[in-house]
Formats: sequence, C-alpha cells, structure tokens
Amino acid sequence: MSMSSQFDTALGWSPRLSVSKVLRIALCVVVVSIFAAPFLTIVSGAFNETTDSTQLSLYPNHPTLLPMKIAGEKGVWHYLANSLVIVGGGLLLQLAISILAAYALSRRKFKGATVVMLLFLLTMMLPEEVIAVPLSQVIASLPLLGVSLKGSVFGVILPVALWGFTILIMTEFMKEIPAEIEEAARLDGVGELRMLWVIVLPLSKPVLGVATIFGFMMIWDQYLLPLIAADNPTDYTLTVALSVLRADGQVGPGVLLAGALVALVPSLIVYLLMQRSLIRGITSGATKG
Amino acid sequence: MTTIPVLRRRARPVVAARRGLLGGPVWLPWALLLPALLFALTFKFIPMVEGLRMSLFKVQPFLGDEWVGLENYRTVLTDSRFRGALGHTLVLGIGQTVGALFLGFLLALLLEGSSRTLWVLRTAIFLPVVTAVAVIGEVWRILYFPSGTGFINEIAGWFGLGPFGFLSDPDQALVSVMIVGIWTAAPYNMVIILAGLTGIDRTLYEAAAVDGVSRWQRIQYIVVPGLRPAISVLLTLAAIRSLRIFTEVFVLTGGGPAGSTEVWMTRVFSLGFQRNDLGVASAASTLLLLVTVLLTLGMRLATRRTR
Amino acid sequence: MRLTSAPRTLAALTAMTLVGSLTACGGDDSASDASKPLEFWSRSGPEGATTYKAILAAFTAKTGIKVDYQGVLEFDTQLQTKASSKKLPDLWINDASLLGTYQGQGYTTPVEASQIEGGDSIDAATWAQNKGLDGKTYAVPFSRQAFGTLVRVDWRKKLGLPQPKTWDDLTALATAFATKDPDGNGKNDTYGMVVPGSSKNGYIGWWGVSYIWQAGGDIIAPAGEGKYRSVVNTPQTKTALEFIRKQFCTPGNVVPGSLNLTTSEAPFFQEGKAGIYLTGPYAMGGYDKQLGKDKYEVVPMPKGPVGTTTLGDGENIYFGAGSKKSDDAKKLAAFLISPEGQEIGMKAAESKYPVVRLPVNKTVDVHTVLNDPRWDAIQKQYQNDSKTFVWSIKYQPIRQATGEAINAMMSSCTSDLDAGLKKLDTALNDELKAQDVLG
Repeated sequence: MSMSSQFDTALGWSPRLSVSKVLRIALCVVVVSIFAAPFLTIVSGAFNETTDSTQLSLYPNHPTLLPMKIAGEKGVWHYLANSLVIVGGGLLLQLAISILAAYALSRRKFKGATVVMLLFLLTMMLPEEVIAVPLSQVIASLPLLGVSLKGSVFGVILPVALWGFTILIMTEFMKEIPAEIEEAARLDGVGELRMLWVIVLPLSKPVLGVATIFGFMMIWDQYLLPLIAADNPTDYTLTVALSVLRADGQVGPGVLLAGALVALVPSLIVYLLMQRSLIRGITSGATKG
Repeated sequence: MTTIPVLRRRARPVVAARRGLLGGPVWLPWALLLPALLFALTFKFIPMVEGLRMSLFKVQPFLGDEWVGLENYRTVLTDSRFRGALGHTLVLGIGQTVGALFLGFLLALLLEGSSRTLWVLRTAIFLPVVTAVAVIGEVWRILYFPSGTGFINEIAGWFGLGPFGFLSDPDQALVSVMIVGIWTAAPYNMVIILAGLTGIDRTLYEAAAVDGVSRWQRIQYIVVPGLRPAISVLLTLAAIRSLRIFTEVFVLTGGGPAGSTEVWMTRVFSLGFQRNDLGVASAASTLLLLVTVLLTLGMRLATRRTR
Repeated sequence: MRLTSAPRTLAALTAMTLVGSLTACGGDDSASDASKPLEFWSRSGPEGATTYKAILAAFTAKTGIKVDYQGVLEFDTQLQTKASSKKLPDLWINDASLLGTYQGQGYTTPVEASQIEGGDSIDAATWAQNKGLDGKTYAVPFSRQAFGTLVRVDWRKKLGLPQPKTWDDLTALATAFATKDPDGNGKNDTYGMVVPGSSKNGYIGWWGVSYIWQAGGDIIAPAGEGKYRSVVNTPQTKTALEFIRKQFCTPGNVVPGSLNLTTSEAPFFQEGKAGIYLTGPYAMGGYDKQLGKDKYEVVPMPKGPVGTTTLGDGENIYFGAGSKKSDDAKKLAAFLISPEGQEIGMKAAESKYPVVRLPVNKTVDVHTVLNDPRWDAIQKQYQNDSKTFVWSIKYQPIRQATGEAINAMMSSCTSDLDAGLKKLDTALNDELKAQDVLG
C-alpha cells in the first residue's frame, strides 16, 4: 500500500512536486472558490451591520453580532430545537426501518422481492408537493387508529421514516457482502437476527454513513411537510422558519443569512462526523472478499 | 399444493446456502419488511391513491366532488403551457443530470486521496449540498444580479464579457437555473463516486501499470466499469429527481421570465394551489408519476442488461 | 401450506389497513369541537401576526372568548389542507379579491350587515363590494387601501427635481435616480423603480393594473347580468404597456432582474437602492424604521394619458363553512370592525405593521388616529380615485393569466404587444367561460 502511492487514486496523483501537482493545486483553488466562496458571503452577511441585496462581500465591512441577536429574538434557537428533535427521531426510525428492509431484500431470496423493491422505488417518485393535501388528511387522522399527529413532532417524524433511497442504497450495498462470511457465521451457530447485528451491520458501516448523511439532509430540508403538520408557528422547523424570516419585511437579509448559518452548522457537523466513518468503513477492507 | 413446498424446502438449501441467501423461516423476510411496508402504505400509497381519485374529480370538499372522468387529463394534455413546461423539464433534467454526473466525476478524480488537505477541500466543496435550497436561491439570485455591479457580471467584466441578464433574460434563464442545479448536485455525486472509487481494487491499477497502460486508459477500462453500480444508482435517482424539479426553480425564478423556466411541477403548483384546482393538479402529477415510473423501469432494465 | 400463509396474512393485513383507512377518512370526530377555542387565521408574516395578537388580546379581555390564532404563510396551501378534511377555521382574514374563489368553492357562508353588531357603521357601498355572484354578501369588510407612489424625497431634492405630476415626469425621475448618483456614494448602484414583476401569483399584474387604468384601459368589464368580458385588447391598454416597457427597457429605470421578483424578494426601496415604489401602504412602518420617516414621501398619483386611477384593495373577514361556533365568530368579527379593534390594527403599536390600513368603520378617522399626512394621501386616493378588481368571480386565475402575459411582454423590448394582448384576451375569455361567467 505505502510503497506506491501512485496507485492510491484513480488518476494516480503523485505526492511529489511536479507539474501535475501544481496543476492539481491550481484546479483545487478554482474548484473551491466556485463551490465554497458563496458561503463566505453567508458568513460575512450574518455578521455584517448593513447587508445589501444587490451585492455580496466576502468579509464583513462592519462586523457585528446584531443579525445573530435579532435572529435569536425571532426564535431561531427554538426552531433549531424543533428541527433537531425531528431530525434525530426521524433519522433513527428511518435507519432502523431501512436496515431491516434492506437486509431482507439483499440477503434473502424470496418470491415478491422485486415487486417490493419496485414499490419502494415508487415511493420516491411521488411528487411531495401534490400528495401534500391527501397526506395532510392522513396526518390529521391516522388510518385505522384515527390518531391525529398534527402539532406533534411525530407528524413529521413518521412520514419521513420511509425513504426509498435509503432502502435502495442499503440493499445495493448489502448485496455486495460476500455470501461466504454469512455462511461461515451460520456454521458457527449465529442466529438469523444476530447475524444482521454482528455480521451484516458492522460490514455495512460505510453505507450507514452515506444513509445517515443523506437521510439527515432529506429530513433537515423538509419544507412542506413540517408546514402542513404544524398546528401553529411554534411547531415550525428551522427550514420553514427561514421562509418566515424571508417574508419578514422588517429584518434585513443579514438576519436571514444569520438564520441560514444556524441551519447550515448542524448539517456540516453531521457531514464531518459521517465522512470519517464513511471513509473508515470503506477502507477497512472488510468488504473485499 | 402440499408437496411443492416440501420439495422446495429441501431443494433450496442446497442451491441457496452456497450463495448465503437462505436461512431461517420463510416468513422472516416479510417480518423484516413489515415496518417499511406499513409506513409506505400509510404515508405514501394511501395519499397516492387519494391523489389518483382527485384527478378524476372536480375537487370541492364543501360542495361535493364532481366526477369529471378524464377531463382533467385532457385539460393538462391540451394546455400549451404544460407542453412548454414539459420541454423545459426535459432540457433541465437531462442537462443537470449529465452535467452534475460529469462534474461530480471530475471532482472525485481531482480530490481523491487520504491527505488531510484533501479532506478539508472535499468538506468545503460539499457545502452546497448541505445548504437549504431557499438559501441557495437567495445567494445565487444575488450572485446573478443582472447589472454590471453583480458579482458574476463583475468577474465576467474582467474578461471583457457581459453584463449578462442571467435569470432575467428569457434566453439565459433556463441555463442559469441549470448551472445552479449542477452546482448543488455535483458534490453529492462526487461523494458517491468517491465511495465507488475506494471500492475499486488497487491491485488492478498496479497490474495495469505493469502492462504499461496510460492514465486515460486506466480511467476508461478500470475506473469507469468499476463505478458502474454507483453510477447506475446515481442515474436512477437523478432521473427521478430531475423530472420533479421544483424548489430550485420556484425559489430562483418562479417559472419566469416569460415562462421560460416553467417546469412541470411549478405549473402543477400554480394550478393546484394558486388557482385552487386540485383536480387538474392531481391529474398532472399522476401523469408525471407515470412517466417517471416508466423511465426508471427502462433505466434499470438497461443498466441490468449492460451488467 | 405454511409457506404460502405468510404472504397471505400480509395481504390480508394490507387490505384491512386500506379498508380501515378509507372508512376513517369518511368519519368525523367533532365531539371535541365545542370545548375548543375559536379558530382564527390570517395570511400574515410575523409582523402582521403581532398586530393581530394585540387585537385579539383586547377581544378576549372584553368578552372572555378564547381565540386560537394563527398567522399563516402559504395560506392557500394550508387552507386547502384544512378544507380537504372539512375542518376550516371558524373565520379568517385574507384578500378581498378571493371572495369569489371562496364562495365558488363553498368555503364561506353568507352574512348580512344586520347579523354583525355594529355592521351599520360600515358604509353600504363597502358592504356591497362583498356581494357574490348570487347577490348575497359573503364576507365582512375589515380593511381597505389604495396603492400609492412612494418617492425618495431626499434623493429628489438633492437632484433638484419636482414631484412627478405626469407619467413623463415619473420616467424622467426614474432615469435621474438611476444615472445621477442620488445617494452620492460615487457608484452607479441606484435604480429608479422597484417592480415586483414576477408572474408568480400574478404579481406584475397587481403592480401594473393602475397604469392600465390610468391610460383608460382595463382587463375585464361587466357585460350585464353578472357576466364579464375581457376588454384588455385595446389601444389604451397598449399605451400603458408601452409606458411600462419603456421603464423595463431604459437601463436602470427598473431594478435589474425585477421580472423574477415578488414583493418579499424586492427589498430595494428600504435598502436605499431604488427611489420609486408603487405599492400598498402596509409596509410604511418598516420603511420608517429602516430608511427614516423623513426620507420618503407619498406623492399624488402622477397622471397618465387619461387619469390617476389606482388599485384599491382590501382584506375581508370570511366565515368558514361548517363552523360550529358562528355566534362567537360573529362576535369576533364585530370586535374586529369596532372602533377599538380597527384602531389597534391601524396603530400597530408594537410591530409598526398595520393590519387595518384604511378603516372600514366610518366612525374611525384616519387623520385623528394616525395624524400622518402620508396616510391622509392614501385615504384621499382610495376615496376619490381608486378601482378594485372584480371580487365576485374567481379572480385569481384572471390575475395569474394577466401577470403571466405582462411578464412575457416585458421580457423583450421588441416583442409584438398587439399579439401579446390578443393572446391574453383569448386566455381571459376562456377562463371566464370556464367559470361560466362569460357574457
């Protein structure tokens, strides 16, 4: 592994100083400024005294905490708490449901598996904007149970728990786990559900990382669902609250950007943490038969 | 009826155990799938069926829904704005999917590696993906400000170009929206492709080097085929997402100017919620669902065949 | 047998759930309705909600009736989800021009002036505005307003220009604001007019209709017996569109990119980027805070080729169909239109965002309550020279079609306006026909 780092990457980048390295650095600078520079403007806007809607600055001209303070007065921290509860609960439920389903779909052969997979794929194709009205009826009165989820965090947590994407990527990943590993475990007398817990899950760490990041973002970005599940504005999530801030004519763009920054930080933290587990999982080598 | 299961039960372990795909009772997979199926039924399929029902009615909850048969579908299919919207949706969908896949691939190649600096760079580049779409819209509207003082126009000015109208010019608006879409989706693709790259056996590279294969050939014959599973997932997802594209357009242009960026879902939205016509809106989304299903099935079949 | 039973059980379960859900949809659980507080909504952001809460606090203190209030964004979406489960709020306040839409969908119940305490303190003419197509009254008037032309007075004086009296003056003023650096920062970064020019929700039609009327044009007109016809395809309307296009096609007269902007996305007036804004008076409190009261004026409407008619608009109180609390709802409506309720709504002591713009209660005097010449000017405009959309039909689709057409015509400086108007004319008549009100 260490002897020829040239084989570490697809393009064979070399760590030594060379023309290609200089080129790579130059490209990186361009790429980073295209993708990340707009965020400097969010940060600078969030800490700037006067913010202009026609121009952006990369650094605050008159640094101040005022936009942050106003955003706080507008309840940003409360909305953040709502969002965190929803994303935490929703993500746990989503992962649990998807792991079970993916395990069944990838490691078991049974009649109807293809149909079930197609059903899950179908759920991803529903345009949320339009099932919004019928979905709101379901949330207001759960089928069979008649319980209303409106105004409770479960009004958002339960509907996001099923996401075809997570099931899809987990299934695709678990399929790649060599059958021999499981077989060996079975010979050692490991039970079926324990097999999921001690063999398949640890091997699936990378995909769990991916699923966590994307699941987090999907729930974090929900707009229409928290809106229709809310009973009053104190139930809003941060994403919905951002549009409230945007509609508030008496706060400038600075306050909106301050809110946006608050909304950005948790996603970034999750990405940072999960990226590590993702890479660790993939490079552990356990997946290579 | 009674003999077949017995036969099967005997036969299967022999074939399947080799593949590690059988163990435990037959109801086990269904038990494992039960929570997912229940949630799908409650929160996806019941609303979907209700949506289908609405598409056949003139929806007015307080006056009683009025059966109109396929009239709503006729309205959609004959509406010239829907036809325009379909064109824009396809252009945007294909452009964004291809653009984001290509750019994501390039980013992955550029930033692959385990050094700390690269990790920081990848993180920085991932920022667009984790930002709320509303904020992205806000930032890009300012970047795109269509006078000489606008951010991008000022940069273009250094090269003697512009000023461009971007979102305010009917001829440039769709491309401008597409660029924002690519910008948001490329880092997402990058992460998946990076994961795929890590899965490629390093010894293949070494073996190829021994055989004197060039970098370009290495990409062509080892990397791209190795990425196929990752790419097929990405393409499926992108196809699904791109047809439903809504929020980006809604936030950036609202479908304007002069309807030049109007896509299927913004049209559905303005019919359903701004004109209170849930029946037609449901019909339009049912059609969208149908097309998406067909397309996705076709795509999965195609990728399976090439595999 | 064992092997096949599992899928069957599942299928049975699935079927049960489906059936159960369908029956659950049909049932209604109204048992708890009586003990719940009165449900009241308004289409408001946080500022407006603050003002409503102040009114409601006074109402509850006076009557003991508890109100569950919500300021709702995305009002139409939210109302539709409520309507689909047949649980509309007991009453709500929203644009007067939605009257026909709500009535046509059966969302609202009729009301008469005599049923509301103090109903006679509202002009008969104002009540008459709320008549539906069937001649019954479908809402209680709550607030009225006229659009006004706001101008940065400090900029105007700095450039030594007079108040604009005519369209030409207005054009010249916009050009001067764009080219003569009125804010004196040495940069070419100011513009003439703020225009919410998006076709979303028909915004540009809202803004532009005043100019169409000032040129003697119109959009739809009565054709007798409660029917309407498009009258948009006239030389007069074309004159107005030419005037508007002159603004869009003179660099700087309009803030660049305006064709994609809704009102909440166009903060250029309060940010000191543009100096002219034809808009409703509701945001003036905010401008006072951000710009300063002395920085801008409400000028008398600059005269078009024919007149100075401006868009008059308003908000109504609608009673939700199926409400089991209509007595309490009427009491709340009575308080909302009482002098006390109207004054709290006008002064907006805390948020400075008035939810009552011009009072509908004739015993309330704008000048006495606010003592602000700008509001006096708005009132004068409303009373003397304003015109409203047609509220009794479903006006939203008309506004949407008009907005889309004007947005398209403004996006090119050379397109054929006649062709555009002809197309709009057809679209409007088609829509009227679909609504069964084409005359």
